[in-house]
Amino acid sequence: MSDSVEESIDLKKVYKGSRPIIATFILMGGTIGLLFSIGLSVSFGAADIDFATVWSAVFQFNPNLTTHQIIQDIRLPRVLGAGLVGVCFAVAGSIMQGMTRNPLADSGLLGLNAGAAFMLAICFAFFPGLPYMYIILFSFLGAALSAGIVYGVGSLAKGGLTPMRLVLAGAAVSALLGALSEGIAIYYHIGQDLAFWYAGGVSGTKWEHLKVMSPWIIAAIIGAIMLSKSITLLSLGDEVAIGLGQRTGKIKFFGSVVVLVLAGAAVSVVGAVGFVGLIVPHLTRFLVGNDYRWIIPCSAILGSLLVILADFAARMINPPYETPIGALIALIGVPFFLYLARKGGKEL
Amino acid sequence: MSVLTVDHIAVGYSNTVIIEELSAAIPEKKITTIIGPNGCGKSTLLKAVARILKTQKGAIFLDGRAIQQVSTKEIAKKLAILPQSAEAPPGLTIFELVSYGRFPHQRGFGTLKKEDLKHIHWAIEVTGLGELRDRPVEALSGGQRQRVWIAMALAQDTEILILDEPTTYLDLAHQLDILLLLKKLNEEEGKTIVMVLHDLNHASRFSHYMIAMKDGEIITEGEPKKVMKSENLKAVFDINAILMTCPFSQNPICLSYQLNKETECLLQTVE
Amino acid sequence: MTEENYISAYQQKKHRKNIFLILSVFILIIIMFMISMSTGFIRLTPMELIRTLFGMGTDKQNIILFDFRLPRIVISILVGMALAVSGSILQGVSRNALADPGILGINSGAGVAVMLFISFFPTTTAAPVFFLPILAFIGAGTTAILIYVLAYKRGEGISPTRLLLTGVAVAAGISAVMIVLTLRLSPENYQFVAVWMAGSIWGSNWSFVLALLPWILILLPIAYSKARVLNTLNLGEIPATGLGLAIEKERLILLAVAVGLAGASVSVSGGIGFIGLIAPHLARQLVGAKHQYLLPTAALVGSLLLITADTIGRWILEPSEVPAGIVVAVIGAPYFLYLLAKSKA
Repeated sequence: MSDSVEESIDLKKVYKGSRPIIATFILMGGTIGLLFSIGLSVSFGAADIDFATVWSAVFQFNPNLTTHQIIQDIRLPRVLGAGLVGVCFAVAGSIMQGMTRNPLADSGLLGLNAGAAFMLAICFAFFPGLPYMYIILFSFLGAALSAGIVYGVGSLAKGGLTPMRLVLAGAAVSALLGALSEGIAIYYHIGQDLAFWYAGGVSGTKWEHLKVMSPWIIAAIIGAIMLSKSITLLSLGDEVAIGLGQRTGKIKFFGSVVVLVLAGAAVSVVGAVGFVGLIVPHLTRFLVGNDYRWIIPCSAILGSLLVILADFAARMINPPYETPIGALIALIGVPFFLYLARKGGKEL
Repeated sequence: MSVLTVDHIAVGYSNTVIIEELSAAIPEKKITTIIGPNGCGKSTLLKAVARILKTQKGAIFLDGRAIQQVSTKEIAKKLAILPQSAEAPPGLTIFELVSYGRFPHQRGFGTLKKEDLKHIHWAIEVTGLGELRDRPVEALSGGQRQRVWIAMALAQDTEILILDEPTTYLDLAHQLDILLLLKKLNEEEGKTIVMVLHDLNHASRFSHYMIAMKDGEIITEGEPKKVMKSENLKAVFDINAILMTCPFSQNPICLSYQLNKETECLLQTVE
Repeated sequence: MTEENYISAYQQKKHRKNIFLILSVFILIIIMFMISMSTGFIRLTPMELIRTLFGMGTDKQNIILFDFRLPRIVISILVGMALAVSGSILQGVSRNALADPGILGINSGAGVAVMLFISFFPTTTAAPVFFLPILAFIGAGTTAILIYVLAYKRGEGISPTRLLLTGVAVAAGISAVMIVLTLRLSPENYQFVAVWMAGSIWGSNWSFVLALLPWILILLPIAYSKARVLNTLNLGEIPATGLGLAIEKERLILLAVAVGLAGASVSVSGGIGFIGLIAPHLARQLVGAKHQYLLPTAALVGSLLLITADTIGRWILEPSEVPAGIVVAVIGAPYFLYLLAKSKA
């Protein structure tokens, strides 16, 4: 009884800073924008296709038309894949930033992506032709591996997980697993395959991938939304959260599982693309305030928008060649990271 | 007579000016203490004098020469500075750290000569660290560590010592310990000492000269009896202080105080 | 006690101990040198080794030893020294025990310059070997300047934390550029670049030794002559100014030396990370924080580590070779994490 009263008092401060109207607008406007950019992305490409054909390809599919086939077999899964990847990275980033109260948390910077990629290198080398259903499981395992190391190092240290320690641990784990992946790649001569797959982005996405990854992602997102209220509390600091009667250990455990599933799934499709999980949550927090019940869905929308547009740009910059999507996002991400590092000079 | 004069200087950080215009003279072979509320510019003034912050206007004269025109190594032979929170790299012994104080007097690889050893020896003994000479610095207590840094500044063999809050983070007894050491250095070695202190009573008890600052300006300066007056403290800190004479130094000290606005409230309720 | 003998028995003992430790590392290097010479696809017995060294080996043994193994070992000694001293300088200047040319992105900067070169002039045999260290130095230097400028805040200067974070960010940016470049390479060149980037001592002939040697011969003595400056810088900005050090100038000189050493090594050995981190740490454990001892010890430890890593890399998956950089990362990254877990902030 008294607990809940206390909770509502303290949380008022947080919710005061949240802006539900803007959030609702983002959710609605973002969804429209998303549909529009999917349409855009599907119709432009090596062969431009008008909107009417796109419409009919989706809703009155005619297998005899080449354009319909291009749309159904290549472009649509690709765009949907990009959208899902964006959702994954952005939501994973939001949860990590909230749980660790760390402005620099991102699945790429913390080495989760490198972990997943390492496991993929193992799959490529030792089990060539493994069905995607199993690949994605390996990918989860890899993300979990590096998360375990990074968090382990952080929690062993005096003073806990400071932003700098997390980033450096992430860099070291990335270097370690990256070196091992390279070693495997060189030994088994699968280097350029891996590089293409790292850099190639979502171009290889097939319906099969979407079918396998969607249930995982949907479950993880539902979990994230269920956790969102607790994450808001955790973002006030462990002590406050415990003081308000929250079982922080449990929340952190489930939160981490959600992050691992999301990061693993995304990496298994797109490779180790960083910075989406860094930029989007910051942007979202700036727009909608500090309530994770709004941040998580809004960052999902904005994340998918970012990756779809980045993928679109990757195809349009230098056709018919594709610019690696990871490099493109790093182009926005690196300056943003630098900005955060400068701004947070003191407390970092 | 003053060795160190500050002439119409303006100092600040990148785009904030903290001191717009200020002049002061530091008396030779005396202890001078700068007091004032947080953010009044006292540390800024100290850093400007120690050439850590560059002046945007005006000049600072050391022995009659503007410090901007003297090489930093020359200045280091005349003026030593002790930062507010210095941290020694791990693994250094006291002897090693104190020997770094000879830097401005050395050339090349830094082999310690007889002259260097003489000063290091004296600095370690005078600060009472003789027994601990070969201990690593990180194994010392806060008070001892402060002494090591003072010893390093002494090994530098300068006329002037500048200290930024040398008693912060120390307990009562160790604060006094450090101040007594500084007093001894002033009386026996004739060092000119300039420091920032937060404790008014310590400032009054140990200084010959006090400079009271607020908002980047000097409100009043002079010997403690002149500065430690209730109207001055009101002007500088916005407090109403009850003063009495210190039985040890015969200088005024502050017995207790109230915030100015608090007093006004009290008066109103009485009315 | 008189001033003359104020250097206590303890100090003298410490000095003798440090000299002894430095000599021991040196002896270990010689032992490793011998082991490394006999390790490889064709093993040489100790007797064969000695006979070949004294010019009494068969033609085949001569070629293996003098044309393949020896230059490679000499390069790993030089590169190990250069990286270790570069790391020691960076740690001293930034006052951060976790600084290292790899973590700071300086290696990747050198790497991207060399990679650009290789992608435009693909045949490595024709590539002017002496040009590579200069190229790598330009890449490393540009990156270092970039990091310095980005991490610099007026009035506050460089905070060690900001320097590291900026380095991580710049390294991420550069690796994005590298991915783009990688995809434009032909498969053969790709394999070459991949092996090089993974830190293989690929320049296994004497011309690479000659290209690297002048840099080492000039820069290492400069670094050592700055030992006293490094000691002072290590105390922090304010004490160093107080002791009369022209901070900005010295810092710039030292950074240039560190960048030069890192750049020159990357140009022949590719991206070998962590040596610059581990070697100074081990050296500090052995001889303490005074750079007069620290720099030579770190240099020797760096050489020892790299010869060992290169030998392990040649031996572990025989007949194929694992690049030394991978071996170093596999050993170095866990050590880095251990240091991170132990560090205070």
